[in-house]
Amino acid sequence: MDLRALWMRPELRFLILFLVILAVGFTVIALRTVDETVVVPYTTLIAKASGGILHLLGEDITVDGRVLRSPRFSVTIYNGCNGLITSLIFISGVLAFPARWSAKLIGVVGGLLAIQIINLVRIVSLFFIGVFLPQYFSESHIFVWQSIVILAGVTLWIVWAHYYGAPQKEPA
Amino acid sequence: MARHKKSQPDLFRTFIRRLIPMLLLAMLVWGVLRPALDGAISASAQLLIRAFEYPRVTHLVTEDHRAQVRRTDLTTSRVPTVALTEIHFNTIVLLALFLSLPEPLSRRQLERLFMGWCVLLLSQTLNLVFHVKCIYAFDLGQWSLAAYSDLARNAYGFLRYFTDLPGRFSFPFLIWLGFSWDQLSGMINTSATEATPSPTRRRGRQSRSR
Repeated sequence: MDLRALWMRPELRFLILFLVILAVGFTVIALRTVDETVVVPYTTLIAKASGGILHLLGEDITVDGRVLRSPRFSVTIYNGCNGLITSLIFISGVLAFPARWSAKLIGVVGGLLAIQIINLVRIVSLFFIGVFLPQYFSESHIFVWQSIVILAGVTLWIVWAHYYGAPQKEPA
Repeated sequence: MARHKKSQPDLFRTFIRRLIPMLLLAMLVWGVLRPALDGAISASAQLLIRAFEYPRVTHLVTEDHRAQVRRTDLTTSRVPTVALTEIHFNTIVLLALFLSLPEPLSRRQLERLFMGWCVLLLSQTLNLVFHVKCIYAFDLGQWSLAAYSDLARNAYGFLRYFTDLPGRFSFPFLIWLGFSWDQLSGMINTSATEATPSPTRRRGRQSRSR
């Protein structure tokens, strides 16, 4: 097998790079030190942001670490609910895809913001589902919103690759 | 903003336009197939676990979208369970992605969907296998400590972690990428994904054009 020839095929190079970055990213966030110093504080920040939005929407909300508490409903934001995994998949796709570094930077910053906005909408909507339709909370949390968040990440990557992919030299 | 080719927007827009209706359709299909998926994944996982254990004691019972992990050689006060919905909900994502591509019911697309779905089912089965192995390695007290080494506990924990959230979230996308690259390259900037001709091939083309 000619490995060099395989590496020269852009689609394979992309897939290999994508998998490597993804694997490294998932390994790094699994480390206890990274979890304690980055992932947990990040999730706490997401909880605070969600609490802020719920407060603006008139909810009597208290944020205690990663727990959102109100007299009507309480919800804990775990590591799988902070948008970090979808963000990692999106970032891996952007970094592995051939594009100018400026385009990659736009992709990473814009994509992260967009994914976090979608994730905040998810948390807020799940809170209200918990308040008004608690019997549907588990189903909405697991298959409705998780599917939407994954598809949103994939769509964002396709949109980015459509508009910003490939380093094209500007005509002189 | 980088330029994109004029021939691509149709495919790109079609895909984006179809994504939401196809997500709803995928949820409906998954909802109908959910009991069958519960059973298929539990049965495959049980088969795989029993293939590597002696005596064959593992028995996975599906009830209320959860797999009850039973061993015929152990009696525990509480039967451990694994949520099956969390393991196979990503079928929705795979279906939505495949169905959003043009001509989803063509023979070629259905064959790709079938192959992709088989790969996803395998990943879901492995996810359940590692969940069960982690229950054996971590949750059964003194028996776990006696039957599994630290290395085995670490290995099963690592494999469960990777097939859990990271795998569930990324496998549908990776499988779809692998089976639909030609169509995907029609949606994204193709100059990035077209194969670069090797120097030999280039020379061949030049000599033919002469």
